[in-house]
Amino acid sequence: MKKINYNDKGSILNPLKNLQFYARKPVTEPLGPRPASASYRGFHINDLDKCIGCSSCQKICDNAAITMVEVPSIEEDASKGLRNLRPAIDYGRCCWCALCVDICPTSAIEMTREYVHVCDGDETDSYFIFPKETGIHGDSFEKGWTKTEDSDLLDRARRPMGEMEPEARIDNFDEIVDGFTMEMAIEEASRCVDCGLCEDACPAHMHAPNYIRSIYEGNLEQAVEWMYETNPFSHVCGRVCTHICETACSLGHGEGESDPIAIRWLKRFAMDNVSKTKIKQIARKGKSRKKSGKSIAVVGAGPAGLTAAFDLVKKGHKVTVYESLPKAGGMTRYGIPNYRLPKDRLDQDIEVIQSVGVDIKYNVKVGTDISMAQLQKDNHAVVMAIGMQMGRSTRIPGSDNKMVVKAVDLLRMIPKGDEFNVPKSAVVIGGGNVAMDIARSLARLQKQKYNEVNITVSALEQLGKTFLADDDEVIESKEEGIVILDARGPKQCVIENNKLTGLETVKVISIFDEQGRFAPKYDEENLQFHEADMVVEAIGQMSDVSILGDELTEELEWNRGRIQIDGNGATSVEWLWSAGDMVKGPDVINAVADGHRVADDIDKFLNK
Amino acid sequence: MRPENYQAVKLGQSNEYEIFIGPNHPGIEGNYAFRLMLDGDIVVSGKADAGYLHRGFEKLMEGRLWIQNLAIVPRICVPDPAPMEVAYSMAVEEIMGIEAPIRAQWIRTMQLELSRVAAHLFTFGGHAATTGMYTPMFWGVADRDLVLDLFEDFTGGRVYSIYNIPGGVRRELPPEFLQKLSNLLDYLESRQNDYDNLLFTNQVFVDRAKGCGALTQEQALELSVTGPNLRACGLAYDVRRDDPYLVYDELEFDIPIQTAGDAYARILVRRDELFQSIRILRQIIERLPSIKGKIRTPIPNPLSWNVRKGEAYARVESSKGELAYYVVSDGGDKPYRVHVRGPSSMHAVQTLEFLAKGARLEDVAQIMFSLDACPPEVDR
Amino acid sequence: MNKVPIDEILNKVNGIKITHKRKTRIRVDVDADSLPTLLELIKGRASYIHLSAITCVDWIADNQFELVYHVWSYEEKCLISAHTRIDRGSESNPAKYVSVYDLFKPADFFERDIFEMYGVTFIGSPRMEKFILTEWNGVPPMLKDFDAEAYVQETFKWTDYNPDWLQELTDQGGGIAVKPEDIRTAGNTHNMSTHRERDKAKAAAVKANEKMQGWKQ
Ligand SMILES: Cc1cc2nc3c(=O)[nH]c(=O)nc-3n(C[C@H](O)[C@H](O)[C@H](O)COP(=O)(O)OP(=O)(O)OC[C@H]3O[C@@H](n4cnc5c(N)ncnc54)[C@H](O)[C@@H]3O)c2cc1C
Ligand code: SF4
Ligand code: SF4
Repeated sequence: MKKINYNDKGSILNPLKNLQFYARKPVTEPLGPRPASASYRGFHINDLDKCIGCSSCQKICDNAAITMVEVPSIEEDASKGLRNLRPAIDYGRCCWCALCVDICPTSAIEMTREYVHVCDGDETDSYFIFPKETGIHGDSFEKGWTKTEDSDLLDRARRPMGEMEPEARIDNFDEIVDGFTMEMAIEEASRCVDCGLCEDACPAHMHAPNYIRSIYEGNLEQAVEWMYETNPFSHVCGRVCTHICETACSLGHGEGESDPIAIRWLKRFAMDNVSKTKIKQIARKGKSRKKSGKSIAVVGAGPAGLTAAFDLVKKGHKVTVYESLPKAGGMTRYGIPNYRLPKDRLDQDIEVIQSVGVDIKYNVKVGTDISMAQLQKDNHAVVMAIGMQMGRSTRIPGSDNKMVVKAVDLLRMIPKGDEFNVPKSAVVIGGGNVAMDIARSLARLQKQKYNEVNITVSALEQLGKTFLADDDEVIESKEEGIVILDARGPKQCVIENNKLTGLETVKVISIFDEQGRFAPKYDEENLQFHEADMVVEAIGQMSDVSILGDELTEELEWNRGRIQIDGNGATSVEWLWSAGDMVKGPDVINAVADGHRVADDIDKFLNK
Repeated sequence: MRPENYQAVKLGQSNEYEIFIGPNHPGIEGNYAFRLMLDGDIVVSGKADAGYLHRGFEKLMEGRLWIQNLAIVPRICVPDPAPMEVAYSMAVEEIMGIEAPIRAQWIRTMQLELSRVAAHLFTFGGHAATTGMYTPMFWGVADRDLVLDLFEDFTGGRVYSIYNIPGGVRRELPPEFLQKLSNLLDYLESRQNDYDNLLFTNQVFVDRAKGCGALTQEQALELSVTGPNLRACGLAYDVRRDDPYLVYDELEFDIPIQTAGDAYARILVRRDELFQSIRILRQIIERLPSIKGKIRTPIPNPLSWNVRKGEAYARVESSKGELAYYVVSDGGDKPYRVHVRGPSSMHAVQTLEFLAKGARLEDVAQIMFSLDACPPEVDR
Repeated sequence: MNKVPIDEILNKVNGIKITHKRKTRIRVDVDADSLPTLLELIKGRASYIHLSAITCVDWIADNQFELVYHVWSYEEKCLISAHTRIDRGSESNPAKYVSVYDLFKPADFFERDIFEMYGVTFIGSPRMEKFILTEWNGVPPMLKDFDAEAYVQETFKWTDYNPDWLQELTDQGGGIAVKPEDIRTAGNTHNMSTHRERDKAKAAAVKANEKMQGWKQ
């Protein structure tokens, strides 16, 4: 570089040297806008089909430029995490920072290379735009700033969850999943964008964004407080919930690998790390000091019945729960195996519920030990929440043999400690989670007793396509040595000399008819025989409504074999409400949601 | 006081009179006013009048999420916005105890130097214009635009890049970018003669600039003058070298100085600095391809990001001098306090008032621009 | 000349707390009474001659202002940030502190700025007057209890747009669902997610608005 000395005087002639410019080619720029660069932050576009209306763009917008507008023509489905809100942008405020682009969980909103917009003073409405596949002027422009892996503001990967290895878990009923450490939980919680799709999706509308944030802030007690606002079965749900919330989670809607927040494991983490004493204090919060003088009977100490009882007690009523079995929890105790839900966790949930003042009478079977009529007489209202305790039968030939059993009956025996002959080989009919539960439970017992697993699961549905059980269940079952035969229908239980020898199956052609009704078609030629000492039917449960008694059965309105209820769980009989599996199902969180609804309605009724 | 409600002060019998220059005038990059008391055409005293660009940034930042602030910090200095983003990000990183990946640090350094080039080109033009020469201004702005093209290319924005984020930068460089940069540097170097002839060795300019607004080194130090303005007084002080950040300690560059401390010394320092920046950029072009790896250290999702309690004072050398961000976090999702220490807050107020005293009215604009003051750094 | 280690000099100040944050950053905490002495010491004896900035932080919950003096040494290549806390004062008895203008000329700028933005009077500072916000008559705006967002909501009108597409959506039964100000006025972008929370936010916004009305009178 040429040096210029400060003391040089310069010359008056120097600038004239630039006259040479007259000899140079002039620099000309074409009129009209020049094309922008490939990552230009120009006007927005939004893929309305990809966008789920999570509002993250609105929240990150540093200029309050985004208004969420409701588009009625777009489908809304809370359980899938779809809202019909879409962003509209005020270009009077936007600064084209592209933070909205970089946060969008679905990569729906992007920017183009278009940047020219001219309008008159009275056309300011044109500043408020609704980005669609085409930009501000309805023209297609090349994309400019779009989200890249680097610019993505969201952490797409779930913190991995530790699990027991198959060899270590197969001969016992110990819990499989490790749970988060504090550090992992905070990291996992930090991924949440607080869109609330989970809360909308959850049947009980658990305040997941709130407790996730509390966990992120390390305030686990606060998190548990949020949980108890909506769910007294938080331990149970922290382990076995069907987590519809995670299906809805906006992070799960992302392109490519994008995991939803592990909401269920976060709940489990918070519950596991707050002391029982503290949880009891939290559960009591908001309990009415005044006694209402009203009493309510609840039939069935499952999640539905106990949630209703919990709420009603907190509202100042006296509640008695009648339970036919020696312990409370319903299917969560006598159905869900210990390796998924350790019973001490369930015990704690129930202990907390009892500590608020819920009185449970065990070993009282309503219908035999005490009649419904009696309950009505002694109480101002009655809640029926008896679940579905009876297994359904396939009714195929041979299914009346005593070695053909129902999954729920068998599952109930294990926690009760009832003795039964563990079969050396067994076939489970059914492809749902209950089938997996019984198959995996039997596998454990076989391993303990015979040191080898011999279980076949035979299901109508096709693996990887229509299969009903969760993927995790399928993977883990296979790891544990269980054979899954998909697309097979049961034909008969083969009986020789009154002794069960196995199950014969046929190939499934289709499961539903044209109207979408359940009507499986089989290829009768394609036969297969599975040797077994025991056949377990796991094809569904039903409610034992015979306990209602003839008179009440007559009085009630019915709907396809179930008691008819209104949106609040009230039956057609004034003093009777019903909740949980027996009227709705299919899982714990729905039972809990039902319990709340019923309690609210009863409270209103009693205060009338 | 705003010009429209400005009323001349009634004074007793005297030869002195007051004039108000600004808030728009050729002496400043932005809106800024100056009240002068004159005796003939000699300035008796001057008083800076700021506030025309006050947007309450520091207050705004307390109400915005940590990363949202990245969209407003560059607005504090239009001609040289990159150091704002970088300094803010560095402060937040220091509080969090995280560091940008090494590749990001190189890219940031590149961004800062490019920004310096753009800013100096702008200042050449502006300074020349205060002496009545407009061609350098056209040139400066046109050449600066070529730099902005590159900014557009790799950051997506021409002026407000909004390219940094605590933990790194938002985007990889586009393909062929370094080649484009190299071409631009060739071009800028080829322009040196033109600029020298037209401006730096143009006797008309040299005569006007020499002796105008001269500061001694002592005075400069007393007034906390930094940057090229300080280096023009003979002190080779540069944050890049003396309080190194990013990868400056791996780069070779000289710190140009002059001793006269006047407007001409200042613009010569800037001229030389521009070529030092080109030298730095050349080294970056050479080294960057071999520096592989990530460009961002992950931060939690910005919607719920609580930055842990703490404070940090991050300093960088902007084209105007020592730029610092003092950031305080109380552990929340927004900064508790952000203090922007712009170099111009030292240059445009006390120093300017000091230098104006005794100057001729015609030189005031040149003094202002030769200090390269950026009013929003005063107003914030 | 023998160089005295900086810690030795700093330790001459009573009750000082020294934190070496990194090679070029030292944080010291002193009482308000000792701060001028400290600055005099480090300037006079340790070459810390460059006042980089003075920052004020409003710790409203503690009812204190924190003043931070950032001073750089060209020789040591190190920055000392001297922190001190003063009483936050009240409307009738505004916060006061002593000026360091006699030590550092640029204090003129910083102290005036803090006076204007936080209302702290620096005794001995040459220009305790307005500079940037000459037409502002409200409370010093950087105070934590001045709610800028609420002031903006109250003072400026949001533009009401009604473009055709919006009219169409409204006709179909949709239209504006959540305005940005709905999630902003409540002062918290969190937990605004569900419809239920949104209603709450709206209610809070209305309340905040009412509060502002009262504040104006
Ligand atoms: C094997 C299996 C696994 C499951 N896994 C999951 C899972 O992982 N996640 C999930 O969310 N859901 C799961 N479910 C479903 C879940 O357990 C039920 O949806 C839930 O327990 C329903 O609650 P409830 O209160 O309606 O009924 P139940 O839990 O069935 O409770 C009803 C209670 O009423 C009692 N009762 C019945 N009749 C009488 C009577 N006449 N007098 C007195 N008491 C009576 C019963 O003993 C029982 O305690 C599973 C179900 C099964 C069968
Ligand atoms: S962040 Fe994306 S998905 Fe969510 S509302 Fe905005 S554009 Fe739609
Ligand atoms: S580009 Fe930035 S300012 Fe514009 S709508 Fe998106 S987030 Fe808001």
